[in-house]
Parts: sequence; structure tokens; C-alpha cells
Amino acid sequence: MFSVKLQEKTRRDILKLSAAGVFAPSLSGWLPLLAQAAAQGGQGRVKSCILLWMDGGPSHKDTWDLKPDSQGAGEFKPIKTSVPGVQISEHLPEVAKIMHWGTIVRGMTTPEGAHPRAKYYMHTGYREGQGGIIYPSIGSIVSQEVGRPESPMPNYVCISGRSFGAGFLGPKHQPLLITDPNRGVEDLKSAISASQFDNRVGLLEQMEKAFHREYGADVINDHKTTYQRAVRLMQSAEARAFDISTDKSKGKYGTGRFADGVLMARRLVEVGVPFIEVSLGGWDTHQNNFARVKTLSQQVDAALSTLVVELKERGLLDSTLIIWMGEFGRTPHINNRGAQPGRDHYPRAWSLAMFGAGQKGAVIGKTDKEGATVIERPTTAQDFLATVCELMGIDHTKKNETATGRPIQIVEKAKPFTKDII
Amino acid sequence: MRWRSLALFTLTTGLALLVGDGVLLDVHAQVNKKNKNKRDDPPENVKFPEPNPAVKAPVASLPVPKTKDAAALAQLIDAAIAQKLAEAKIPASARASDEEFLRRIYLDLTGTIPTAEKAKAFLDDRSPDKRAQLIDELLADPNFGRRMADIWTAKLFPRDSANRFVLKEPLYDWLQEQFNNNTSWDKLVTSLVTATGTVADNPAVTYFLANRSVDKLTDTTAQHFLGIQLQCAQCHNHPFTSWKQVEYWGMAGFYAKVQADNPKNANKGGDNTQIGVREGFTRSRQKDFFPESTKNVPVRFLSGEQPKLEATQPYRPALAQWMTAPENPFFSRALVNRLWAHLFGYGFVNPIDDMLPENTPSHPQLLDSLAHHIATTGQYDVKYLLKAICLSETYQRTSKSTPDNKDDKTLFSHMTVKVLTPEQLFDALTQVTGAQRTMGKGGRVGVAPKGARAGAREQFVNFFLAGAEEASVVDYEAGIPQALRLMNSPITNNPAVVRAIVGNSSPAEAIERIYLTALSRRPTAEERKNLMSYVERVGGMTAYSDILWAVLNSSEFTLVR
Repeated sequence: MFSVKLQEKTRRDILKLSAAGVFAPSLSGWLPLLAQAAAQGGQGRVKSCILLWMDGGPSHKDTWDLKPDSQGAGEFKPIKTSVPGVQISEHLPEVAKIMHWGTIVRGMTTPEGAHPRAKYYMHTGYREGQGGIIYPSIGSIVSQEVGRPESPMPNYVCISGRSFGAGFLGPKHQPLLITDPNRGVEDLKSAISASQFDNRVGLLEQMEKAFHREYGADVINDHKTTYQRAVRLMQSAEARAFDISTDKSKGKYGTGRFADGVLMARRLVEVGVPFIEVSLGGWDTHQNNFARVKTLSQQVDAALSTLVVELKERGLLDSTLIIWMGEFGRTPHINNRGAQPGRDHYPRAWSLAMFGAGQKGAVIGKTDKEGATVIERPTTAQDFLATVCELMGIDHTKKNETATGRPIQIVEKAKPFTKDII
Repeated sequence: MRWRSLALFTLTTGLALLVGDGVLLDVHAQVNKKNKNKRDDPPENVKFPEPNPAVKAPVASLPVPKTKDAAALAQLIDAAIAQKLAEAKIPASARASDEEFLRRIYLDLTGTIPTAEKAKAFLDDRSPDKRAQLIDELLADPNFGRRMADIWTAKLFPRDSANRFVLKEPLYDWLQEQFNNNTSWDKLVTSLVTATGTVADNPAVTYFLANRSVDKLTDTTAQHFLGIQLQCAQCHNHPFTSWKQVEYWGMAGFYAKVQADNPKNANKGGDNTQIGVREGFTRSRQKDFFPESTKNVPVRFLSGEQPKLEATQPYRPALAQWMTAPENPFFSRALVNRLWAHLFGYGFVNPIDDMLPENTPSHPQLLDSLAHHIATTGQYDVKYLLKAICLSETYQRTSKSTPDNKDDKTLFSHMTVKVLTPEQLFDALTQVTGAQRTMGKGGRVGVAPKGARAGAREQFVNFFLAGAEEASVVDYEAGIPQALRLMNSPITNNPAVVRAIVGNSSPAEAIERIYLTALSRRPTAEERKNLMSYVERVGGMTAYSDILWAVLNSSEFTLVR
């Protein structure tokens, strides 16, 4: 109980201080305090995380964990990668060349096999409904723990997909949603001229001053802070990161929303946004698995490999963690659904991949010859999320409190594998 | 399933493990799967803890009125609040101005703001009892039911992926009707807890369809109707004592015979108004899903009494009867605390649904007296209790603090500045912009039929909730995307709206109209002077649109002062 109030007090003090400079560029007074607050969170070398969310649950046997000699081997051939002895799908040839900057986790094993619950689980590390709490997604956790409250830029951006939000951490850690990367941030541009907008903000500031003088409530400060940040975002140079229209690399990432979203993610990392999620849908391949996974893999291949190479060129690869994952894997056997069969949901054994953040080509875990059971180093969602936290300098055993004062650990019962991959 | 470990944990930790696996009500689909579980734990002898002596029926220690007399009850409230303030040597703030009161009472009772005409009429009214008249008028306004339905739908219908096949609108409409008809609280809750039939016949069954497991039902019933957080996981971190596992499953037993249809099945080509809830004849199957160590726990009320129920008898009516009895130690207290918090932002006990004996109320005598009164003489009349509170000087105080009471958050020396809920914000904006509500007749909200676009109100609310279950009324939680929307979207940038509000009026009149329309008050002399010179400098419609924009984005608009 008391610790909630204490925490709340600190938060309020920060907000109060930040509100002291409403709509004014003078932030010098409270910057040191915020810097301190941020330092308590992430001290990791890794500053940003890009989650490439493969919506629908990609087939592990047709991407990262091929089993050419198994019964349900499928059509794809394995190819060599830049890591000796490690093979991946032939439809990821460019990614194969950068495998030495990545990690494949082949021993994922999770309990949820229905899309919404599994997506929730992989984003939060908790089961939906557990204990009557809405848990924060990893993006919101990163926003809370290492986000920069003083920045005009959002700390969590979610591109071309829906995401799982802040839960009990509150709307301040909710992602900024980008529906179409070519349109940028919704409502970011004012419908009126800059000078008229300045007039309006001037009027608003006048009204706020008078109201605050009379009522002096905390909520008035919180409102001011939010508006201040929104106005600063509108006017900030960093917000240009949301405009991909003139980026020279447009096209290199491939075409379509996913490619454009990954390009935007690179631009956002360059201006220090700590968490960006980009979605690619279509992986729920109950039917026509091979044609669909081939197309999707080609999209991933171009975007992911270009992203890694361009971050490397900019000196940002070691400070950026890239995650490629979906909500579960797909059945090792091929189903009998008509002329173009596919694979069904399979959470028991599956793969995800990570790049950057100083990784060096490790493979974690192993499945049996069918890709049906994890036989080495089974990895839970919690192990994985705790590893992400460790890489980003977040203490995953820290407890955050819900509105009613229940302490909830960031990740529970985790055995991270950080030291095995960097 | 981890039955074995359950016995080792206290009640609530075990629950957290259970939830994910689902103690589902549609047992038929689950039986085969669950039978694989090992059940080799010997059942323990069931031992209930001694009843907590602090858990007892509320007593009216203050001189409550002998009849339903809202004015007298308001005086009782004021006297009790004044006494505590005097003891603490904290002065009360002054009476709210008519302007403060007007906007506050509209938003609190109807969830929206008055039209400019209504505002003007009230402010210019010289009759001494105009506030009391307005309270009566607003409690009779159909928007009262809508406001209450907004609040209660959020509680009874969790935003859970499993609920995407359950219709929300029938429950919403039903609640709206119940509150507008002023169905007494005991009857309303009884209808919910004992509901059987199909959604079409009896929308109250939605409560069971949207909470399709014994533990969820037990938790939400305890939390919302009894003011108790049974589900609170991780007892070891809980600052107070907690309920024991046997007490939990003793309560859960009342829901053990409920059979709810699976909404997902109905969705597949079926009609999801035709699904529903039945009371089964036996409890055997449902019992399969109780932790092994609790299988022998008999149904038992949280207060300690054990009902005499035949195995073939329905259980839920007994639960409802116990809950709504005047001597129930939780039910009426929970109602009073909730309605108080509805108006003041904070309850006598906070969090409002964590009314453990150890969580001492700020005003124990007043809480108990009001609880006793509403459960007996007051006949669980929700509008009556709201009216009495709204008539009190305590409610009608300004939210401006004084240097001596600014730190007071528990004694109600001044009104809390509350934050508009997303629903209130949408309705207030719509009131100003005059746009026709797009959500169909009677201002319905809820899940649109499958495939249809959600209504504008639902979309707006979802955008502002941003994934949360409910918005806080005491913390401003909107983020940057919400601020951007309010600043730059057509909602606040529509020249037609500005023209409709100001018409051909003079600058002074135009400014007054904007203020009356959006803030339900006239501008102060200082504001008038500043804005007149702004209009002079910037000119006509541009200036008016700027002023309206600033007012709609101001904290005064988004807060209830």
C-alpha cells in the first residue's frame, strides 16, 4: 500500500516538475531528475528493440528448423548460413548471410494454442485473465523501464498491426499506432497554419494558467504534460522519422506495408525510440502452406536482412535488438485440408530468431527429428522475455504495482539465456 | 493442470494457476480432457476458519431518518463529515458556485453536459431550490440509465478475447432500463446472479456468458456486489489478512450448477441471442473442476453461515437471498461505498472494492449508518441515495482547496477534481458539436453485429481506453495519441460547428455562446477582455474557431471541477 503511494508520489513529482515548463522549451530544471529516474531502469548497451511480429504463427519447420528427413518435411530445402553447421530455409537466402549476427531459438515451448490467447501470452508472459489483471506487453514494459519521459517522441510505436498494450501500467505506456507507414502518425499534422496553431496554443496556455491557479489539482498538471509532449512531437525534428517518403532506402526493404514499416522502424531507432513493433500477417497457413510461407519468407528476407545491414552500417546494430517471432509454431505433419494442404497450430515446439545486440550466431535448443518435441533446452515465453529484458538492462524480477497495489513481477519464473547468445 | 500444487498454496495463489486452464462452465467439452489429470491427493478434512468477529451486519449508530427523506439524510451526511473535519481541524472549502455545480451534477448523473440554453436558464434562475430541482430532473433523465449502464457494463462484461462472440448490447440495454426504472439494487443484483434463459429472453444471462468460469463469477460477484477482492493473488504480498481457500470454494460452490452455452459455438452459423444459461440439477460435473483439496467443501456464505440446501435445489437463489438481506455484512456497504465514490472519486474505503475489515473506512459510522438505512428504510433505492448525497453540502462544495485543506484526500473537505471518462468526453464533445449520435436509437453502444463497423462512440471510447478495462476518474491518463486526436482531428476543427454556435452574434455574445456551450458558464470579466482583444486582433470566424478549439482542449473541459 505504502509503496504504491510512494511510487505515485515520485511519478507525480516528476510530472509536476515537467508541467512547470508547459509549452515552454525550458526544461533544464527537471531534466537531471528525469535522467536519474531513467537510469534506474535500463543501463544496458542495447537501447532499442524492434519486434517483427509474425501474426498467425509461422511454421518453424519451413523457416528456422527444417527437418528434410522427417515425415512432414514439406517442400523447402535447407541452405547453409554464415554460421557453420546452421541451416535455414532456402527462402531466407539474404538472412542466411547475416546469421552470425543472430540467434535461433529452436526450443520454444508454450501452453497457448489459440491465436488471441497465444498472442497475449507471448507479448506479456502471462495468461490472459490470470489473477484478474491486464498485463503489460513487452513494449509497454520497455517504455516504462527504459523509456525517456522527457522525449517528445513516443517510447513504444506499433506499426501496421494491432498490439497488446500497457495493461495496468496505464495509458502513458500505450503504443502509438501507425496504421499505414506511408501516412505516418495519425493526427500529427495540424489542419491549420503553423501561425494559427501557435495562436491556439497560446490561448490554451492562457486558459490553463488561470484554471490551474484556481484549482491546483494534479490532474491539471498531468493534462498539461501530455499536451506539452504532443505539441513538442508535432514540432520536433525527430518526428520526421515517421516520414519515410524521402528515405533513400525505400524499396530496398521490399514493397508493401511490412517493408515500409521495417524501414520506419530503422528511422525510429536512429532517433532513439526504445521499442518498435512491426506486424506481418498471413502466417496462419492451415491451407496452402508452402506457397504462402514462401511469399512471406521472401518479404521477411528482404526487410530483415536490409534492416540488419543498414543498422550495422550506421553503427547501431550492437545497440539494437531485433526479434522475429509469432504466437506459436505449426504442426510437424502436413494436414489433409483439400488440394493445398497446410499446417495447423502448434505451441509445443517452435522457433524464433533474434538479431543484433551483440549476438554471434548461437542456436538455443533443439527439437527431435520430426520437429515435434523439444529435446534440448526447452525455452518458455518467460525465459525468452527475461532474456529480452536482460539484454535491454531491465531487471526482470522487478515488481510493478497495479492500481490496487498488487505487486506483479515483470517476468515470473524465468531462466534467461543471455550469456549463451552474446 | 496443477491440482497437486494447489493444496500447498493459499486460496488465491492457487486461483492464479487455475485461471489460465479455465474452470469452464461448459463442462461437456472439457470432461474428457480433464479426466486425464491425476487426482491422487487425499481430500482433506474441511475446516473453515473461525468467522472474523469484525464481519457483521451494519448498524445505524447515527440518527438516520425513519422514512425515505433525502433532505434529512443529506443533513446527516453533512453532520458526520463536519464532525470528522472538526476533529482533524481541517476547514471545509466554500460552497460550489452555480457554474461548478451545474456542470458537475450533469456529468455525474447523466454523463454529459447541458446545452447552452439549459445552462443559461439554470444560471439565471433565481429560485432558492433550483439545485434540488435539477437533481430530480437529472435523475429522471434517460441519460441517467445510460451513464450507469456505461459503468456497469464495463464491470460485468470484461474485455476478454473469449468475449468476442458474446453480444454486449443486450446487457447494456437491459442495465440502462433497470437504472432508468430505478429497479432496487437488491432486485437488480438478484436478477443478475440468478439469471437463466436465453440472451433474447433475459439479457441478464450475459453476465454468465461473459464470465464463463466458476472462479471468474466468484471473483466478479465478490468484487462488484460485495466489495471484496477475493481474487487477489499472491497473498504473501497482500498487506492484510485474506480469505482462506475453503472460504473461496465454499462461495464458488453456489455457481457449481450453472450451465452456460459456449458463445463460440453459437457464432458458428448459430444465433448468439439464442444462447443462454441453465441451472443444472446436479453439481457433480462442475465439481470436477474444483481443486482436489476443495471438493468436499460445502457451499457456505462468506459470513460463515451454511445454508441448508438439498442437492437437487438450485443454489443461486440462496446466494442472492443471502447477499441482499439487510443483515448481510458486505452488500449494502459495498453499494454505499460505490455510489459515494461515483460522486466523489474516492470512497469511504479505498480501493472501493477492497472492503476488508482491516481496511478501515474514513467514516465508519457514516458508512454503516448509510448502509443500514439503504438496506432497510431505503429499500435499496439507488436514485434515493444518490439524491441524498447530491443534496448534501459536502457534495455541493467547490473543488478549490484552501491552503489548510489542500492535502486532505479522505475527509471530503473539498470536492475532488475528476477526469471525464471516455464516454463522458465523447458525449460532451458530441453535445458541443451537435453531431447526430451515430450509434443508433436511444444512444446505444456495444458490440456491433459481426462484420459491422463499431459505432463512433465505441470507437472513441476504445481509443481513449487504449486497452485498459476502465478509465480512472481521479488520474488523467490520456496519452499523446489522444491529445493529437483532440487537437488535430475534425472533432475540434469543424468550421460548421463554430458557425452553428456563434451565428451572427457580436464578438461579446459569440464568446459567451462558446463558453456556455462548451463549459456551461459565461466567461469571467478577465477572460472576456482577453478574448475580445484576441477577436479584434485575429478577426471573426478564425478567432472564434481558435477559441472553441482551445476551450475543447482545455483541462477545464476534460475535467469535472
